[in-house]
Amino acid sequence: MDDQGCPRCKTTKYRNPSLKLMVNVCGHTLCENCVEMLFVRGSGNCVQCDTPLRKSNFRVQLFEDATVDKEVEIRKKVMKIYNKREFDFPSLRDYNDYLEQVEDIVYNLTNNVDVENTKGRMEQYQRENKDIIQRNKAKLTREQEELEELLLLEQQSNEQRRLEVLQEEQRQLQAKRKSKQTLLDELEQSKLPATILLAQHKVRAAQLETQIEQQKQNVKPTSLFSTGIQIGQTVSLQPLPRIQEVLYQYKPLQVETYGPPAPDLEQLSRFGYLNHVRAAMPQDTAGGYTSALACYRAIQDAFNGLFPIRD
Amino acid sequence: MFHNSSQKKFWTFKNEDELEQMRYMANEKFRRKALESGKPGIGDFKFLDRHEEDALFRHYERRLLDFCNAFKPAMPKSVVGTAIMYFRRFYLNNSIMEYHPRIIMLTCAYLSCKVDEFNVSSTQFVGNLLQESPAGQERVAEQILEYELLLIQQLNFHLVVHNPYRPMEGLLIDLKTRYPTLENPESLRKSADDFLTQAAMTDAGLLFSPSQIALTAILNSASRAGLKMESYLTECLGLKEDKETLSKMYDSMKRMKTLLKKYELPKQEEVNAYKHKLERIHAEFATSSNKRKRGYEEDGHVAKEPRLTEEDWTDEDLL
Repeated sequence: MDDQGCPRCKTTKYRNPSLKLMVNVCGHTLCENCVEMLFVRGSGNCVQCDTPLRKSNFRVQLFEDATVDKEVEIRKKVMKIYNKREFDFPSLRDYNDYLEQVEDIVYNLTNNVDVENTKGRMEQYQRENKDIIQRNKAKLTREQEELEELLLLEQQSNEQRRLEVLQEEQRQLQAKRKSKQTLLDELEQSKLPATILLAQHKVRAAQLETQIEQQKQNVKPTSLFSTGIQIGQTVSLQPLPRIQEVLYQYKPLQVETYGPPAPDLEQLSRFGYLNHVRAAMPQDTAGGYTSALACYRAIQDAFNGLFPIRD
Repeated sequence: MFHNSSQKKFWTFKNEDELEQMRYMANEKFRRKALESGKPGIGDFKFLDRHEEDALFRHYERRLLDFCNAFKPAMPKSVVGTAIMYFRRFYLNNSIMEYHPRIIMLTCAYLSCKVDEFNVSSTQFVGNLLQESPAGQERVAEQILEYELLLIQQLNFHLVVHNPYRPMEGLLIDLKTRYPTLENPESLRKSADDFLTQAAMTDAGLLFSPSQIALTAILNSASRAGLKMESYLTECLGLKEDKETLSKMYDSMKRMKTLLKKYELPKQEEVNAYKHKLERIHAEFATSSNKRKRGYEEDGHVAKEPRLTEEDWTDEDLL
């Protein structure tokens, strides 16, 4: 976001990284201050494209490219009208055709192509499908409510669990403190020797520990997986189809060099080629150079392309 | 390696006629362009003919070789070979009348130093132009940098050139290892070297693969020394059965030898006469084409002023 500045006051964006850019329905950006200044009367014209705008239509920019924000706004408005679902359509093809229509409309409105025509189409659709739109709106709100309820429930159960854990810990701390206190009291008052008292105290502490351990083991088993499926519900799994394919066979690379075959790097010394090449000095071998490499390259170059190419 | 190189795919041709055709087309293209530019007083006699172009080309090629041989620090042979090959390839598709050879030859040498990793800075490079003042050398350096991109473009960005020097070394090693019949292959080295240098001044590099040129060099020097080497081809290269390939190879070797024999350095008086013509043509057409050879300074960039001092330095300044 820092590479583009406000088109009006230009420098203020760099100086003030906390400054936000606002986008309007025409797709052009202005920083907060400029919005305040230009739209002090509530309405005015855009700086770059001169379309009449209202101050209330400015939203904080979420995306780096202002055109994306513009499209998001337009899409929200269009989807309020075009809110049919997949099962409203008899076949997948129809649903896809419908979706393509919607995309066309959004594209036209975003890029200012054929705006009147598109708006006319939208109004016509709205009129024709008023009741379906209403029904779907109601369904949507119902679904959202259900989702919110679920979320709330989850939050509540999380809170409860947290509280329980806290309380447990408190109780354990208190129990420990009590047993220490009893030890001290007994040491003061009782007539038994100190070693026996210490042994008794140790036994009590061990008992407490096992109690705590047992409580930790008694975790209530949940009934739901995190994805929402009930534990114990049978899900039908069909055996996956076996795909039989041809196994990969390694074939070494064959290269056509148009010449007699050159000996391999390893065979060079065996055949005595290396006797005729200058030996590698110690400072050359440090880098991994061997005289065989130079010899190999010279031989390869000599044999490469020696024979005329068959056309 | 050579078998999948761009040299084999794009810059190896079948015969000399094809090369001649390409050069002829380049010549024609320039003539048409010049006539279309509508300058008054153009007659056909003003343009260079093919054989005149050839003579000038050979002359400048010779200058390039001398420049590279006199270069300090000493230029490796492969760099020289690459420079000459660039020069040759460039004038296969372009006419001498359009781009003056003395600039192109320096650019070729400069580019080949870079490509072959023979590190020379541009100041060091133009420092070898002994006849120039330092200011003149700087001007030349700027010109070279201007023409560099054009050169690379005209080479179709195929910058790797396979020279016959390493194949020759490889063949000598092979001879020493597998061919005891020949007692001292080292004795062949000198005359084979000379053969290769001469071959670089012909079209051999554009017609044959570098290993074929190296083999021809060695066989030639062996036959000059009176040594018989035919059995090397049949035994060691495994061509005993393959009579067809053997005969084809002998064929190409013969063609190469004829190419070398045909080469001759042009006479000085002819060269001077043609040079005058060339200078006149360049003076008329070159400055009007507004030397914007800077391919990388496209629109939106502040261009430098046109340099009117283009033709200030002459050929004699080179050596």
